[in-house]
This record gives sequence, structure tokens and C-alpha cells, in this order.
Amino acid sequence: MTLAASIISNLITCAAEIGGVSLIANYLAGVPYLLAAVVLTALIILSIWVLPFKWIERVYGLLGLFMITFAAALVAIHPPWDRIAGGLTPQVPHGLSTKEMLTFAYFGVAIVSAVLFPYEVYFYSSGAIEEGWSRKDLLTNRVTSIAGMGLGSLLAISVLASSAQLFGPANVDPAVPGSAALQAAIPFGRWGLICALLGMFFAVAGAAVETCMANAYSIAQFFGWAWGRHKKPWEAPRFTITWILLFVIALAIVITGVDVMTLVDLAILFSILVLPLTYLPLLLLSGDRHYMGGQVNGRLAKTLGWVYFAIIVAAALAAIPLYLLTSGGNG
Amino acid sequence: MNPDSPMKLVSDLLDLPLLDQEGVYCGIVDDIELAGRPGRALQLKALLVGPGAYAGRLPRWAMAIVATLAGDSLTRVPMEKVRSINSAVHLDCPARDLGLQKAEAVARRLIPRRGAL
Repeated sequence: MTLAASIISNLITCAAEIGGVSLIANYLAGVPYLLAAVVLTALIILSIWVLPFKWIERVYGLLGLFMITFAAALVAIHPPWDRIAGGLTPQVPHGLSTKEMLTFAYFGVAIVSAVLFPYEVYFYSSGAIEEGWSRKDLLTNRVTSIAGMGLGSLLAISVLASSAQLFGPANVDPAVPGSAALQAAIPFGRWGLICALLGMFFAVAGAAVETCMANAYSIAQFFGWAWGRHKKPWEAPRFTITWILLFVIALAIVITGVDVMTLVDLAILFSILVLPLTYLPLLLLSGDRHYMGGQVNGRLAKTLGWVYFAIIVAAALAAIPLYLLTSGGNG
Repeated sequence: MNPDSPMKLVSDLLDLPLLDQEGVYCGIVDDIELAGRPGRALQLKALLVGPGAYAGRLPRWAMAIVATLAGDSLTRVPMEKVRSINSAVHLDCPARDLGLQKAEAVARRLIPRRGAL
């Protein structure tokens, strides 16, 4: 059941990401949205086929660093840092109507969901197997995950804080990627906008690669097929056919004309529903001394792990009711 | 661990990868075949490999989806062909002698062998 639910969730996420990069290509180059979807899916497939895995990581990962433009834009508009620091403590705004409170709760659930998608677990763990990580890689792995999550969180905070500063007073709802990118255009002009859009483009395209590959990893591992992107495509043929087909299915979803932001909402919704099923086995295994030996989670890690599990279970239980009550956050 | 050593069937054997005599990956242990009679010890007779083995482990609707996506082939690997079991099951013959990896070979013919750096 977990596998089936994850595949559906990842497929919707991948479709949302293909829709996202197509929309950004439309902003950047004026390419018609559906044509961009077809061309970009073909280019992503080609890049996975042609490039060695390390280069796939470098191309999408390094170019995605254009996203730092958002952090620079926040600094450039001189926001009230004390109020941003105050926002690090979870708090519910005062004076909201019931409807506004539900919308606030929906976006709370969406942000919790966006912190960790199930595909990231499958992709990261499969990569660890492919690259033959051992105990000596633990420190590198810990630094990478802390730095990666830290940078991602910093960028998310930057986007939210800039939105509150620039769009809030004007009652503008930055609901599409293009309006969010304008945050960088306000302090830095045309090149700020281009850098922000490029950052979004490569970050989302990289995520599409990871989502699709994570699905293919899961399916191939379940059925016991040869798998891995460190192999040539013909050395793991059923795995190769699977990831190509998954891209084609995701593209087909986009071509139906479903709105990108609806896909994003559905991706977030399905991901948070699946996340507890993905996270619980890891939590149990990492606390099992027989399985983990000397690397077993200590008391602090276990406590934090269970607190996070409680948060995602609460978010998962609230997700569908909030989605229906708020029409996907549209009030 | 050799095939005669005690082992936990679910945690130590199911889902382990199979490597043939040449070290070629050839699937995972999807199920097992036991032999025995009341009052006698059970014996592990064979490893079952392939989506056909899921029939006893999945609900019927899920098996129908699996059969549509991956077929329902089932290959029986007699325990006499198992050399050792540790983090993988090591066989003492080539995969093709047991009929393993037929579908992989068919799929390989569909994939062009060029273009990848």
C-alpha cells in the first residue's frame, strides 16, 4: 500500500514539477506552455540518459544555487529583522476569522509537507546504496543534510519574508512562480528577475529528476530488477524503461491542461498523506540497536524523531479536511 | 552463513538479492518453498523469484495490478543451487541455467546501447 501510495504521490509531484519548469520557461523565453512541457521533458530524459550521475547532480544542483538570489533580495530590501526573528517561534495571528484561520492552518500543513517529500527519502537512500556509503561517510552525510536542509529553509524563509514585506501591504497574492520571482526584480531589476527564474527553473527541474528516479528506484527494488543510475541505461533495462515511462505519464498529466498550481496543491496533499508511512519504518529502524549497532539513535534523536512524527501525523490527518474546507487554500 | 545454518526466514532471507556464479544480480527472494510433514521438521526446499510469488502475499486486486505491470512469472531456485547466504544469496550456477532474468534480457533488447557518457 505504501508503495502504491508513494508512486501516485510522486507521479503527481513530478507532473507538478514538469508543469512548473514549463511555466518558468514560458516566463523566460515566451515558449508556449504545452510546447515547453514536451520539449523540456524530452531534454530532461536526454540529460539523464547521456550524463553520468555525478554530472546530473552538479548541473541541476549547482545551477539551482541561483535561488540564493531570493536570500540576497531579502537582505537588499532591509526587512525588519526583529519581526522576522520573532516569526521563528510558531504563533497564530490574532483577529482572524474562522475562514482565515482555516486558510492559515492549510498553509501551515502545506509548509510542513514541503519540508520533506517522501521521494527525497527514496532518492537519498537509493543513492546511498548505489554509491556504497559506509560508516566513514556518516560525517559527510550529516554535514550535507544539515547544510542542504539549512539552505533550503533559509531560502523558504527568504521567499516568505520578502512576500510579506513586498506583497502583503499591496494585497498581492503571489500564487504563481512568476509573481514570487518578482521579489528579486524589485531590488535588483531585470537581472534579479532572470536569476530568480533560472534558480527556480533548475531547482524544480532537478526535483523532477529526483522524483521520477525515486519512483523508478522504488518500483525496480520492489520487483527485484537491476536498478541504478550509475549503470548505463542498457545495464538496467527495466529500470530505464520505468523512469522514461514515468516521465511520459507525468507529461501526459500536464498535457491534460490541469492547472499547475492545482497539481502543486495535490502534490503537497498526497505527499503529507504518504509521509508518515514512509517516515515511520525509518524511525523504528534507526532506533533498533540490533539493526543499527553502535549507530542507533540516542534519546535526544529518538525524542525529536517522534515529535516530528507526531507533527506529520497531525498534518496528514488535517490535510484533506483543510484542503476541502479552504478549496485548496483559496479561502 | 551456509544454507544449512539456522536463519530467520523473514528478516534474513526474504527480499535478499540473488547473485549468480558470475556475480550477476538476478532478482530478489520473493518467497520460499518449504517441505515437511506433521511431526517432522520443516525443510527449506527452494527460493521463489519473480512477481508470480507475490500471489500469496498480496491482496487479489494488488496482484492484478502487479501482473499487468510486471507479469506473473515465477522461477524456482532449488536450495542445492545456493552456495552461501549473507547480505545476498550467492548461487553456484549462472542465472540463465535456472531461467532467471529472462524478462531483463527481453527488455535489454529494447534499449539502444549508445548515447550514455
